[in-house]
Amino acid sequence: MIRSPLTNPYVLILPGFLLAAFIILWPLYQLGTISLNDVNRFGQLRGFNGVENYVAVFTDPDFLGALWRTFIWTGGIVFGTLIVSIPVAMILNEDFYGRSLARVIIMLPWAVSLTMTAIVWRWALNGESGMLNSGLQGIGLIDQNIQWLARASTAFPVQIMIGILVTIPFTTTIFLGGLSSIPDDLYEAAKLEGASRWQTFREITLPLMKPFLNISIVLNMIYVFNSFPIIWATTQGGPANSTDILVTYLYKLGFRFGKLGEASALSVMMFVLLLAFTILYVALAMRRERT
Amino acid sequence: MNPKLKKSLLYWALLSPLIVLILFPFAVMFITAIKPANEVLSPTWWPREAAWRNFIDMWAVTNFGNALWNSVYVSVLSTLLALAVSIPAAYAMSRFRFTGQGFFRQFLLVTQMLSPIVLVIGLFRLVVWLGLLDNVNSIVFVYGAFNVAFTVWMLQSYFSTIPKDLEEAAWIEGASPAKALVMVFLPLALPAMTVTAIFSFINAWNEFVIALTMLRRQESYTLPIQIFSLVAGRYTVEWHHVMAATFVATIPVAIIFAWLQRYLVRGLAIGAVK
Repeated sequence: MIRSPLTNPYVLILPGFLLAAFIILWPLYQLGTISLNDVNRFGQLRGFNGVENYVAVFTDPDFLGALWRTFIWTGGIVFGTLIVSIPVAMILNEDFYGRSLARVIIMLPWAVSLTMTAIVWRWALNGESGMLNSGLQGIGLIDQNIQWLARASTAFPVQIMIGILVTIPFTTTIFLGGLSSIPDDLYEAAKLEGASRWQTFREITLPLMKPFLNISIVLNMIYVFNSFPIIWATTQGGPANSTDILVTYLYKLGFRFGKLGEASALSVMMFVLLLAFTILYVALAMRRERT
Repeated sequence: MNPKLKKSLLYWALLSPLIVLILFPFAVMFITAIKPANEVLSPTWWPREAAWRNFIDMWAVTNFGNALWNSVYVSVLSTLLALAVSIPAAYAMSRFRFTGQGFFRQFLLVTQMLSPIVLVIGLFRLVVWLGLLDNVNSIVFVYGAFNVAFTVWMLQSYFSTIPKDLEEAAWIEGASPAKALVMVFLPLALPAMTVTAIFSFINAWNEFVIALTMLRRQESYTLPIQIFSLVAGRYTVEWHHVMAATFVATIPVAIIFAWLQRYLVRGLAIGAVK
């Protein structure tokens, strides 16, 4: 092989590595430092204070509420998406009239920024002038206006529903990749053996789809856990922090309340949690590679 | 009725609840955007007349042109930055086996998993330290860096499908590696690079948290922040202008995306799952 900088892989990956490392590792180091120090709202460090910031986060009732809602938020969206996406992917994998149009429509929410989607929904959910209320009244489902975003008991489920809608495209895409990898012979053999549709689904589709299901679940958990714009642009975590999840609570701690120490401690904890998810993903992906 | 038609009707019927839910916000956006100002607050479905003027008024009222320019600037430059560092890295990952390759792959994976929101306080300090607060260039760097993982991932999976024999043949013919790269490899990789660039562009175009944190003055706002600022913390919101702005900011990108999504499907399928 001819020697040249272009055949030296280290030279080739260096710029990318340096750029990503600088933008990611330096802030990470900063977060670690701030989280272990007493810090004022302008970011000046006033001495080492051990795990005090971490303790402060854990004893904050708002944190515990946000933590609990993050579980519901992540679990609800990931599970809800899964339940909808499996049948949708199976339908889109079949041959029928207008399939490409159906695919484009289902993928559409992926193309729109979450911020814009959330702003449009905020308007559609408006109590007096929102078209959701007028639409639901039009078809007779409700008889008076609902103030969707004024209470957590209606706002949070609606936010989860929006989250599911925007997560379906990515998930369906992964599932379509999985379905196309299942050879048709298996289905034909099952048909010859007289298997019912449900049996075919249980015994052939589900087991062969398992790696794709696993990977989509882990990736969605990470994306949904990190998802900020839907809640921020509809309610900003309100009313009275009742729709906050960890990311919106973190943002408020850091940029509204000026509690940089606690916000950094929370960031570090979230980083560790994400790292655990990532390791889970790698383990799942490698298990698939070996089989 | 022939069986395929019957099947099609059944499938469309099954998909219809989801399709209604997906198209509902688009309908709300479009209908509100063309409502005359005095009808916006009445929740009727159809306006008495279409007020196309809203789009013209919106442009001036919402500072749209300036935000559009900022969004284009940030998205183009951050995409170019990400591609400039990712093309060589992806080439190395797909063509060579080297010590530390596994580490670099894991490193990319971790950066992909970390959303900017988790690092936002550290990033804010970084930007302040560099003296780039309130400067759109800060966003270019951050988006560029966070896009490296995705672009390397996508490019690598496409590059691996280009046979290595072609470059080797060029080397045997006496071409230098640089020449082989430029004359043989890059032309073949051009479609993959274009597709990856467009997705990187869309990511930057739609990003919210970083822009919200780093940009404080209206002159530096990108589109999502500009539109968000018309809604957040205001007593009266001019919804017809907001929806017209959302429509103009969204539809071109959505059309490009709809056209390209099958390439993303292929790239993700090769890269993420295999």
